[in-house]
Amino acid sequence: MIQLYNVHKRYENGVVALHDVTLRVREGEMVFLTGPSGAGKSTLIRLLLCTERGSEGQILIGGRNIHALRDDSVPFLRRNFGVVFQDFRLIGRRNVRENVAIGMEILGLPRKDIERRTEQLLEALGIAHRGAAFPRDLSGGEAQRVAIARALVNEPAILLCDEPTGNLDPTLSREIIDLLSEVNRRGTTVLVATHDAALIERYGCRTLTLEGGRLTLDRPRRDAVGLEASGLGASAVGTASAAAPPGREATQEPAEAP
Amino acid sequence: MNPITRALYFAGAALRMMRASPWLNVVSVLTIAVSLSLCGLFAMAFFNAHALIRDLGSSLTIQVYLADETTPERAQAIEQRLRGHEGVRSVVALTREADRERNRKLLDPELLEGLDEEAIPGQPVLELELDSALASRGDLERMVEWARQIEKVESVEDVAFGAERLRLLFAVLEIVQSVGVVLSLVLLASALFFVFSTVRLAIWSRRDEIEILALMGATRRFIRSPFLIEGALQGLLGAAVAIVAVGLLHLELEGLVRDVYLLNVQPSLLPPGMVMWLLVGGPALGLVAAGLSLGRHLRV
Ligand SMILES: Nc1ncnc2c1ncn2[C@@H]1O[C@H](COP(=O)(O)OP(=O)(O)OP(=O)(O)O)[C@@H](O)[C@H]1O
Ligand SMILES: [Mg+2]
Repeated sequence: MIQLYNVHKRYENGVVALHDVTLRVREGEMVFLTGPSGAGKSTLIRLLLCTERGSEGQILIGGRNIHALRDDSVPFLRRNFGVVFQDFRLIGRRNVRENVAIGMEILGLPRKDIERRTEQLLEALGIAHRGAAFPRDLSGGEAQRVAIARALVNEPAILLCDEPTGNLDPTLSREIIDLLSEVNRRGTTVLVATHDAALIERYGCRTLTLEGGRLTLDRPRRDAVGLEASGLGASAVGTASAAAPPGREATQEPAEAP
Repeated sequence: MNPITRALYFAGAALRMMRASPWLNVVSVLTIAVSLSLCGLFAMAFFNAHALIRDLGSSLTIQVYLADETTPERAQAIEQRLRGHEGVRSVVALTREADRERNRKLLDPELLEGLDEEAIPGQPVLELELDSALASRGDLERMVEWARQIEKVESVEDVAFGAERLRLLFAVLEIVQSVGVVLSLVLLASALFFVFSTVRLAIWSRRDEIEILALMGATRRFIRSPFLIEGALQGLLGAAVAIVAVGLLHLELEGLVRDVYLLNVQPSLLPPGMVMWLLVGGPALGLVAAGLSLGRHLRV
């Protein structure tokens, strides 16, 4: 699903944020990405989203090389991803429902479908009662649930989360990661960048450690220890991906809605 | 979603943005309205002045006075020559007697009492009526130059060409035109700037939304359309205000001119063509300004 080969990223100011990173995340996996501040976790996510371009190496999403992706193809690549950030990034002018609807507006879905799907998601994430609230009136946990609902609304193949629990207390953090695990069980590939060692320990997911831009550790899933990293362990989970909606491969560029 | 629903969606987004900063939008619309009205008025002043000139031009004549002793054959030869010239509509040849007859009618009968027939002035003359195609100052100057050349023709004594008034009018018109063009450009540039600024503010206050839209796979067109529509709507509203303002002015002026039968020309400030130009030009101006602002302030 995600493959990186010898990826380097040097920012304009000369900082080398990623150095010769090679890794592979299979369809249906849930992976933690960890490492000290400045290790390059956010940079890796930015490269996947094409908000930054790699300096060297190859990145394949669903088998498609995005290194030389044309600018006008980038939006279609991004539709394979859902994104969640530490600071939620909800739109203050829009209420909860309108925030969740953004992705469907981009696809130009009919209003009725948008309303139905929004209610369904808010219900599933336990925030249906907050539908009319504005982001400034939400608690941190509620805000992050809304952000997750927004990211999931078009059933992306991959969910990218950059420090999703960074602003939350430990209890809320667990709730959010539980939620992400549930999403993963339904077939979505999930990549979570986090500092939080306790969380990583608790869930025992496959964990990639970056240090100074280098991939220093690839620890497999706890219940898969002994098996080849991300090999069997992932394919076992991968069967669940049959539930993932079809037509979500990066190779596909759905025509923009008229 | 069909194109109409999509257009409505973008228009809704544009209207929400305009509501978010109403005063800036009002100022933008008014600037566009003022600049479009003045541009329109300048254009109409110019067209009306041209109509006036055409009117004056069509009553222009050149009188070519021939020497007394000119033979009829010679007069006819000159007439032939003048007739063929470009811009000459007709040539009427008057003999000495015919000219004298005409002068007699112009003079006071008392004055003529007991006067010798020979004492009444009279001269063979060719009267040239000109085409009304004197569209520009250049045409007129060429005609003046030609009149001077006629003077040099053998047997021609004198040439009278009453073009001074028209030449003055052309000179005035030229000044009005350059002032109008410069002023219109300044006004349009300021209108452009105001729309540019409102769109910049809209982009700035929506940068969080723009970022999320881009991250979630919105195309450039999807992100930009509401801003372009905001610009176009400002332009359209500006044009509408301009049309109403100039229309009112037109009615006012029409009443005034009807009382004073000075001119042969019916001045019109707001012909249908002008309305159309404003309705196209306003939104076009808004679109261009919004496009420039997006190019400058939006990196998506
Ligand atoms: N836009 C940028 N321009 C220049 N340098 C950058 C940019 N973004 C990040 N960096 C640098 O690249 C390195 C990696 O940054 P990155 O944000 O990827 O780290 P991180 O692992 O996400 O850190 P944190 O845990 O603090 O979020 C850092 O040294 C950082 O200063
Ligand atoms: Mg980071």
